Amino acid sequence: MMAFVFNFPDVGEGIHEGRVVEWLVAEGDAVAEDQALVKVETDKAVVELPSPHAGTVLRLHAAADADIVVGDPLVTIGEAGERLPEDFAPTAEAASATAAAAPPAEVEAPAPAVAVRRPLATPRTRALARKLGVDLHAVQGSGSGGRITDEDVERAADSDAPAAPAPQAAPMGKVAATVDGEVERVPVTHLRKTIARAMGTAKRTAAHVTHVDEADVTDLLAHYRRAKPVIEERTGVRFTLLPLFIKALVTTLQKHPIFNASVDEERGEILYKKYYNIGVAVDTPEGLIVPVIRDADRKDMVELAAEVADKAERARSRQLGLDELKGGSCTITNLGPLGGIFATPIINVPELAIVGLHAIKERPEVVDGEIAIRKMMYLSVSFDHRYIDGAEGARFMSDMVGLLNEPMLLIARL
Amino acid sequence: MVVGSVSRGCQVVVIGAGPGGYVAAIRIAQLGKDVILVEKGPRLGGVCLNVGCVPSKALIHAADLAHEVRGAERMGLTVEGLDVDLPKMVEWKDGIVDRLTSGVAFLCEKNGVEVVHGVAEFVSDRSLAVSSDDGRVEIEFEQAVIATGSRPMELAAFPHDGAKIIGSTEALSLQAVPERLVIIGAGYIGLELGSVYAKLGAQVSIVEFLPRVAPELDPEVGKALTRQLKKLGVTLHLGHRAESFEAGEPSLVVARGPKDEELRLEADVVLMTIGRVPNSEGLGLEVAGVATDDRGFIKVDDRMQTSVPGIYAIGDVVGGVLLAHKAYREAKVAAEVIAGEPAAFDSVVPAVIYTDPEVAWVGLSEEEASEQGHNVVTGAFPYKASGRAMSLDATDGFVKVVADADTKQLLGVVAVGRGVSEFIGEATLALEMGAFLEDVALTIHPHPTMSEAFQEAVEAALGQAVHMVNK
Repeated sequence: MMAFVFNFPDVGEGIHEGRVVEWLVAEGDAVAEDQALVKVETDKAVVELPSPHAGTVLRLHAAADADIVVGDPLVTIGEAGERLPEDFAPTAEAASATAAAAPPAEVEAPAPAVAVRRPLATPRTRALARKLGVDLHAVQGSGSGGRITDEDVERAADSDAPAAPAPQAAPMGKVAATVDGEVERVPVTHLRKTIARAMGTAKRTAAHVTHVDEADVTDLLAHYRRAKPVIEERTGVRFTLLPLFIKALVTTLQKHPIFNASVDEERGEILYKKYYNIGVAVDTPEGLIVPVIRDADRKDMVELAAEVADKAERARSRQLGLDELKGGSCTITNLGPLGGIFATPIINVPELAIVGLHAIKERPEVVDGEIAIRKMMYLSVSFDHRYIDGAEGARFMSDMVGLLNEPMLLIARL
Repeated sequence: MVVGSVSRGCQVVVIGAGPGGYVAAIRIAQLGKDVILVEKGPRLGGVCLNVGCVPSKALIHAADLAHEVRGAERMGLTVEGLDVDLPKMVEWKDGIVDRLTSGVAFLCEKNGVEVVHGVAEFVSDRSLAVSSDDGRVEIEFEQAVIATGSRPMELAAFPHDGAKIIGSTEALSLQAVPERLVIIGAGYIGLELGSVYAKLGAQVSIVEFLPRVAPELDPEVGKALTRQLKKLGVTLHLGHRAESFEAGEPSLVVARGPKDEELRLEADVVLMTIGRVPNSEGLGLEVAGVATDDRGFIKVDDRMQTSVPGIYAIGDVVGGVLLAHKAYREAKVAAEVIAGEPAAFDSVVPAVIYTDPEVAWVGLSEEEASEQGHNVVTGAFPYKASGRAMSLDATDGFVKVVADADTKQLLGVVAVGRGVSEFIGEATLALEMGAFLEDVALTIHPHPTMSEAFQEAVEAALGQAVHMVNK
C-alpha cells in the first residue's frame, strides 16, 4: 500500500473548520480500519475521526490544539517501515521555504553563501511556532531588534492557512495604520491574479443564468454506502460519491452536447467536443484550482475516484502540471461539504456550462402521499444564455436529476 | 520466535541507558507510555556516568588540587610531602560513580521505567531480542529509541591490551601513575587526561596528526592550551602520524613527522584517544531497515526519527557533537515526538574541554559567522585584567564574543579560563533568547566572578569597555 494522507474530512453539517483536541494514536502505531485516530472539535461537537484504512501511522501532520479546515492533511498512513519523501531533508525544506517566502526584492541581493540563519526567536516562541505550524522564516518580528514574539506567531497562525506539513508561508504583509484603523497590505498571488482574470472575463462575456433543480438521492446513497466498503476492499481506492455525479454529468452531456461545447467567437462557430474532459473545482488554501479529468466517459468510477483524489491532492500541494489544468469541456464544482442551500457558480470559460453540487440534507418529502424523510440535494447548472436557452438548461438539469433519483437509470446510462 | 524464548510487548523500548537513553525512558514514562529500558552493561548511566564525563572530572579535580597545592607557595602555603595515592583517588571516584548510577536506577524505578539487562538486537522493525545470561526475551514494541552511544576508536597498529595500550576507560582506573605516558590524539579526551597525569607526575607526550590543537576553535584557544601544556611539562608532537608500537620495558611508539622524520617515544603506557565510533553494529539495524551513514552513524531528521517511522535514535549514535547534554536534549525531543507533541531539535549546543584552563564555547566562531555572511564584530576580555582571576591565581585565558556588527545580535562565545564551564550556560541562554550585545551589557554580573569577563567582552565589542582600554 502506498502511504496515504488522510485529510480532515467533511464531517457533515456544513462544518469545515475544527481544532485537534487530542491524538488517539502516535507515529509508529498500527491502526485498524475504522479505529479512532483523533478527536476534533468543531463548533458543534467533538468528533472522533476513524481511520479509513488499516496500516501504520507514519506521520501526524497537525499538532494537538492546531486549527484545521476540511482538506487539511491530518495523518499519513502506510506500511510500517515505509519511508516518506519528506523525510531526511529538513534543511533543504527549510531552505526552500525561505526562498519561497522571501519577497522578490530580497531575492535579488543575497549575500554570498548565506546559510539559513536561525530565526530570532526564543525557545518558547519556537516551540509555539512548531505547535501552530508557523514557519518562522516567513514571520517578521515585531519585538526588540526584530525579535519574533509569541504574538507575531499567533498572528501568523491566524492569517495563514492552518498547520500544514509543507511550510506554507503566511502572506505576511506590512501592517500600517490609516485613519480608519490598521490595514495589512498583502501582495496578490499569481494564482489569485489568474483566478481574478478568468472570473472577470467569464462574468463580463457570458450571459450567466443558473437553473437549480432538486434530486432525491436517498436510494443513490443507500447503494453507495453498501458498495463503498466492498469497492474499497477490492480496489484499495477510497471510493467517494463524486464519480457517481461525474458519470451522471457525462451521460447528461452526451444527450445535450451544447453543454459540452465552446464557441469560437471570431469565426462564429460552435465547437461541439466529442470528448468528455471534466474539470473538477478544488478548493486549495491558496485559491481555486480546476484539474481536468480527461475522457471521463471512458473511465470507470473507481478510476475516476482515484484520479480525482490524486489530482485534488496535487492541486493542494501545487504539484499539478499545466496540461492537467487545460482542455476541459465542462466543469463540476462540489460545494456540498461547505454547506449552504445552493450557489450560482461562474462558468469556467471558454466552456459554456458548470454544474454545481450542493449539500445533501434530510428533508421531509411527500412520497406516495405520505411525508417521508428523504436525502435531498440541490443541483445547479450555470450556463451561457447567449448560446443556450433557458428551456435547454431546465431539460438538462431535469435529465441529470432523473439519473440521480433512480440509480438504475444511471447504471443503465439512459 | 525462537523456541524457549519469552515474548512480551510494550509501547516503547529504549536501547541503551546512557544519558540519552535513561532521559528518554524517564521522559517517555512521564508522558504516560509504558517503557522498557534495555542496557547491556551491569549499571545504568552509560559512558557518561561510568567511564566518561563524571569520573574524569573527579580525577581532574583531584589532580588540580594536588597541582595547586604544590604551586601555592607564593600564597603562603607550603606543603611538605604531598602524597598521591592513586588507588585511593580511583576508589573515591568509583564511589561517586556508584552514587550516580544507583541514582539513575532509582529515578527509573520511581518513574515506572522497567530496566532489562541484556544485549538488544532488532528482529524486525517492531520487535527486538534481548539476550543475557538469563536467556532471551523477545520484546514487541510500538516505538523504539536507539541510544547505544559510541566507543573509543582503535588503531590496528595499537591493539588495546588494557595495560600497555589503554583507552579512556582504563585511564580512569589506573592503579599507578605511569612514568612515561604517550597519548595518541590531542582531542578533548587526550588533552584532559594528559593534563591529569602530568599533574600527578607523569611525563606526558601527546602525538597529534593535525598541525594544531583544537583546530576547529578560535586560534587563540589552541595557543592558550599549548602554552599551558608546556607549563605542565607536556610535550606536544603536532603534525605527527602514529605508526607503530613495539612492546617492551619501556615500550616504543614510532611516529612520523611533517618532514617525514621518525619520532621514537618511550612509553610505559600508551593512551589512545583518537576519536569515537558509533555503537551501531550488531544491533540488527539492517533487519529493522534503519539507515546509517558511511561512518555508521544512524541518520535521523530533526525529530530524531530514523528512516523507519516509529524508530528514533539519539545521542552519540546519531553523530554530530558527541556530548551528553546534546543527548539529553535529543532524548526529550524523541520522547515528546513519541507522545505526539510537535517537538524538534533546534538548539545550540555548548561544549567544554576540562583542561587547565578550561575551554568552553557556544554558537558561531568568528570564522563561521563570516562564512554565514555576517558583518562580524568581536570583543575580548583577558583574565589577566580580572580581579577574580588574580585572586584565584588563574589569569590565563580570556572571553571572546562574536556578534553581527550591524544588528548587534550575539552569535557566539568562546572562553578559556578557570571555571568558564560554569558560565557558558549563561552564554547559551543568551543565544537561545536571541540576545543582543546590549542585553548582556545591561545585565549586572556579580563581582568579583569569572563571568564578569563575559559582560566586559561584550562591552568591548560595543566599544564601551571600562576595565581595559578600548581598541
